[in-house]
Amino acid sequence: MSLSARRKRTNRIAMGLATLATLFGLFFLGAILWTLLWQGLGAIGPAIFVENTPPPGSDGGLANALFGSLVMTLVAILIAAPIGVLAGTYLSEYARGSRLGEAAKFINDVLLSAPSIIVGLFIYAALVVPFGHFSAWSGAVALAVIALPVINRTTQDMLALVPNALREAAAALGAPQWKVMVFVIYRAARSGILTGILLAVARISGETAPLLFTALNNQFWSTDLGAPMANLPVVIFQFAMSPYDDWQRLAWGGALIITAAILALNILARALAGTRRRS
Amino acid sequence: MTTTDVRPSDVEAAERPNRAKAQDRLFLGVTRASAALVVLVLLGILVSLVIDALPAFGNFGLAFLWNERWSPAKDIFGAAAPIYGTLVTSVIAMVIGVPVSFGIAIFLTELCPPMLRRPIGIAIELLAGIPSIIYGLWGFFVLAPFMQTTVQPALIATLGHVPGLSLLFSGAPYGIGLLTAGIVLAIMVLPFITSITRDVFNTVPVMLRESAYGLGMTTWEVTRHIVIPYTRRALVGGVMLGLGRALGETMAVTFVIGNSHRIAASLLSPATTISASIANEFSEATSGLYTSSLVALGLILFVITFTVLALAKWMLGRVETH
Repeated sequence: MSLSARRKRTNRIAMGLATLATLFGLFFLGAILWTLLWQGLGAIGPAIFVENTPPPGSDGGLANALFGSLVMTLVAILIAAPIGVLAGTYLSEYARGSRLGEAAKFINDVLLSAPSIIVGLFIYAALVVPFGHFSAWSGAVALAVIALPVINRTTQDMLALVPNALREAAAALGAPQWKVMVFVIYRAARSGILTGILLAVARISGETAPLLFTALNNQFWSTDLGAPMANLPVVIFQFAMSPYDDWQRLAWGGALIITAAILALNILARALAGTRRRS
Repeated sequence: MTTTDVRPSDVEAAERPNRAKAQDRLFLGVTRASAALVVLVLLGILVSLVIDALPAFGNFGLAFLWNERWSPAKDIFGAAAPIYGTLVTSVIAMVIGVPVSFGIAIFLTELCPPMLRRPIGIAIELLAGIPSIIYGLWGFFVLAPFMQTTVQPALIATLGHVPGLSLLFSGAPYGIGLLTAGIVLAIMVLPFITSITRDVFNTVPVMLRESAYGLGMTTWEVTRHIVIPYTRRALVGGVMLGLGRALGETMAVTFVIGNSHRIAASLLSPATTISASIANEFSEATSGLYTSSLVALGLILFVITFTVLALAKWMLGRVETH
């Protein structure tokens, strides 16, 4: 075979493999979503949203778990969003050359991928042991610790995109620095920062590991943040591993709900980021 | 009577610069405190893990790291089996995940029709959005039975007789175990490695690429001899980032690993990882030493992942766009 024919053949094989790799990746996305729809749709009905998690062998729903997940995610974001945005502001606007800034940037990027089960252990030691019991508060704080680096990093990236002329123009009008930030720069970066917060919500609403020994689980409807609270991920884990058919069915229903919600959030965040880029 | 006639608004005007300065200082202080909190979180994690792990290390010494025995009934614990499982599942994940991720990145940057580039890119990134518990559920109910009935018997029948490989593919097809966990992890790290690889491939100057094409190189040769050498360092960083994810992944592995504290040569045998041990056993740990041993496992995991992620970060510089 001539050299050029051999090179062409190598190229075709390599490109064929690259295409195959893409199909491989897409196949798993399809397979997972298909399984979720196929197994989960049967479990979805009005009951799943209004009834609480049942004892084995009887009918029920996931109302308490859905409620618990919503509450803990909301509390976590209320804690993480302001801190994350302010920390991102410092790192992007004020930290140039400061040691704290360099360290915090580096550590934040490491925390972004740190194992979430470690966060669970930390919050267990920091909040569960001292208070003597599991609680929704500790679960929410654990989730906040996971959301914080996400919001921090996106805020840094989004503020870096705001043109300097805007800062200079506002400062030239005599506005104090904090007013420049709050009334001009934050507004310019608003949709980007919001995207970061949405991505953080998507990230934490499926987290299971940090809740296993912080919020634990609760068989009943509970609105007490000082007590263990049911939540979707832990219920899915428990029910899926159980030998009971109706529990497994509910686990699939919960899995479908949580995945649909998270994918919707991801797509919404992307759309938001997209509008910003176009305008 | 002469009055200097100072109007309140003048006082305000005179004090305004001072007040603005004070407000600026306050704003700066609050933002700096928030940034410091990030550092404090890391220190808090480290300190709490070290304190709670001390009893285990005090009791078993450094031998905790290489002792295989894990017996809650006798209060004897060793970390060798979970460490082994963590490393082996992550290696399997990398062996499968890295070439596939590179392939996808090459497809997206070189081959894909521009119209499909965005949708396919987004679809791959959505894999990263799916929570790990869903991967666990899918791995346990779909992949593990398929492995048990189809893949593993085939592996045992073929590779199980090849000298050298036979050790890795021996035993009964359980479905769950190291190999299945490694495959699930490989799917999970795909989107992370792919998105970084694609981004760094795109940093290659068009000039370099086109000169190479101009010399008559094929797409593969351009990738192999121009793009990959140009981006080597960041590529390694991206792989390390994926490795960091795989090492610490918890729920997906917990479903399919089999939770067995034994080191077996076969990739088909049930095992455990650090994170799966903690997830499975922490709330059931009855003795103080048991709990402390699990936290000690957590400390080991934290040190390993921190090192890997820090290296990844260092190699990536700031290319990574998240």
